[in-house]
Amino acid sequence: MIRLIVSLTLLLAVLVAASLAFGDVSLTWRELFDALAGTGEPDPQSAMIVFDLRLPRVLLALLVGVALATAGTITLAIMRNPLAEPGVLGINSGAAAAAMAVIVLVQDPPVGLLQAAGFLGAATMALAVYALAWRSGTSSLRIILIGIGLSALATAFTTLLSAFGDIGDVQRAMIWLAGSVYDASMVKVRLLALWLIVPVALALVFARELDLIRFGDLSARSLGQPVDLVRGLMIVLVTVLSGAAVAACGLIGFVGLIAPHMARRLVGGAHARLLPVAALIGACLVVAADLAGRIILPPVQLPAGIVTGLLGAPFFAYLLWIRRHDHR
Amino acid sequence: MTTDKTTRFGKIEGKGVHIAYGKRRIVENLDLAIPERRFTALIGPNGSGKSTILRTFAALMKPSGGNLLLDGRDLTKLSTREVARKVGVLLQGPVAPEGLTVADLVRQGRYPHQQLFGRWSAHDQEACEEALMLTGTTDLSDRALDSLSGGQRQRAWIAMTLAQQGEALLLDEPTTYLDLEHQIELMKLIKMLVAKHGKTAVAVLHDINQAARFAEHIVILKDGRITAAGEPETVISAETIFTVFNVKTMVIRDPVAGTPLCVPL
Repeated sequence: MIRLIVSLTLLLAVLVAASLAFGDVSLTWRELFDALAGTGEPDPQSAMIVFDLRLPRVLLALLVGVALATAGTITLAIMRNPLAEPGVLGINSGAAAAAMAVIVLVQDPPVGLLQAAGFLGAATMALAVYALAWRSGTSSLRIILIGIGLSALATAFTTLLSAFGDIGDVQRAMIWLAGSVYDASMVKVRLLALWLIVPVALALVFARELDLIRFGDLSARSLGQPVDLVRGLMIVLVTVLSGAAVAACGLIGFVGLIAPHMARRLVGGAHARLLPVAALIGACLVVAADLAGRIILPPVQLPAGIVTGLLGAPFFAYLLWIRRHDHR
Repeated sequence: MTTDKTTRFGKIEGKGVHIAYGKRRIVENLDLAIPERRFTALIGPNGSGKSTILRTFAALMKPSGGNLLLDGRDLTKLSTREVARKVGVLLQGPVAPEGLTVADLVRQGRYPHQQLFGRWSAHDQEACEEALMLTGTTDLSDRALDSLSGGQRQRAWIAMTLAQQGEALLLDEPTTYLDLEHQIELMKLIKMLVAKHGKTAVAVLHDINQAARFAEHIVILKDGRITAAGEPETVISAETIFTVFNVKTMVIRDPVAGTPLCVPL
């Protein structure tokens, strides 16, 4: 376990260093080291590139990865469905619909407003799904079905709105929704970090509850777990985590699905181990996706969300494939 | 803990209990007392409400009316955690997360005794080890649950309920899907837990003869009502079996155990 955490952290450090070094203007490792440590002949230009342009971007990607992976791990536990991810709660489609509405209704909206709207949209959708699925108690299947239904509705609404929007605004919204960390700033990084501390810590505190709720509602209840309360709380955590991630950089799909599955392969099902490992893997994935998006087709910058999508779709198929004989 | 020890037997009593799924009434006006420190079997045809009653006694379902008492306290007013400290439940066909080991499973049985920030104590460990030992699963503790046979898996689940250290044990069709050897092994295990460890056991059973042979108290149900309740010798009769199951039988003495034995005509 410790060795795994150390190697994942090392991998993350390498990815972060590579992200700081590579890009439109590539730095040598020597230049990067000098810029970071301020030793040798500090070149003001490379220091500017590293600290002002690339560092916020890398840190934002890292935090978003942690948020998405933690949210995904929680979702997997409370939904007990291997294909469930935070998107099931309607978070992505809710954020998209709200952002699109802002773009169509407000002339030239600032990015901050888009983000706030995205978060509110995600939260509203999650709340609506949970409320509609409530029938003297909750059931994961009902939540999934209602989540899919409401998501489809919200997506239809988004498409409808985009038909009325100014073509330039709609295009901007589309780029934002595609999931990119390009307009990162240190302020944004600090805000997201502060925002994530509480839900991530709470998820770790509730690791034992997550272990138990995976047994199914009746089993968990027979062991004394207030299942509806735990599930409601966890949905709040998921909304706060992935809503913030969506608000910060749009829709970066599949991380919430891939990271927990990989972590489960590595450390088994206990959430006290699963959550930190999944968080590290999520951070690695988003940082790597952003790095890949920048260096595959220069000078074009592919949004990280597109890269994770390219990676995630085959992974989804792989999950279905290995479970094709699973009738449970 | 010690002051109320005398009242902690896992005695479950229902008075005028109504149970319904939505508008469909399953059980009406049921008076049922489960004798403490005995092995009670609930039998009856499909749809007679056996499992529903068991789930209600385990506080997994709320009765729509009537009184339910657990050792003299109103069951519906206790928190799920309090109930779980007194009552262990083995559900029908329980499913565990994949890859889980027997030891992991049994450890979950300590959940109702733990606080949010509480650490795993020596007492928790002892309870788990005892549960493994009693069910003969100590040697299996590192094995993954999905790699076990049906009988072993069922014993592992019982070990989990024993780790709860409750006084009552409720089992919903524990022998279904097991082969004969493991059915008998399981029935003997339940009998031993009642006789040697003072547990109150309630099992929903399908096999009348198995119930008559191993249980000390039998409750026969039909359409959510009790047709007969008492010792096997007094409740198992050809007339009762005919009215409840609509099958003509002859009741003879089991040549081995001396308990009633139903032979279909």
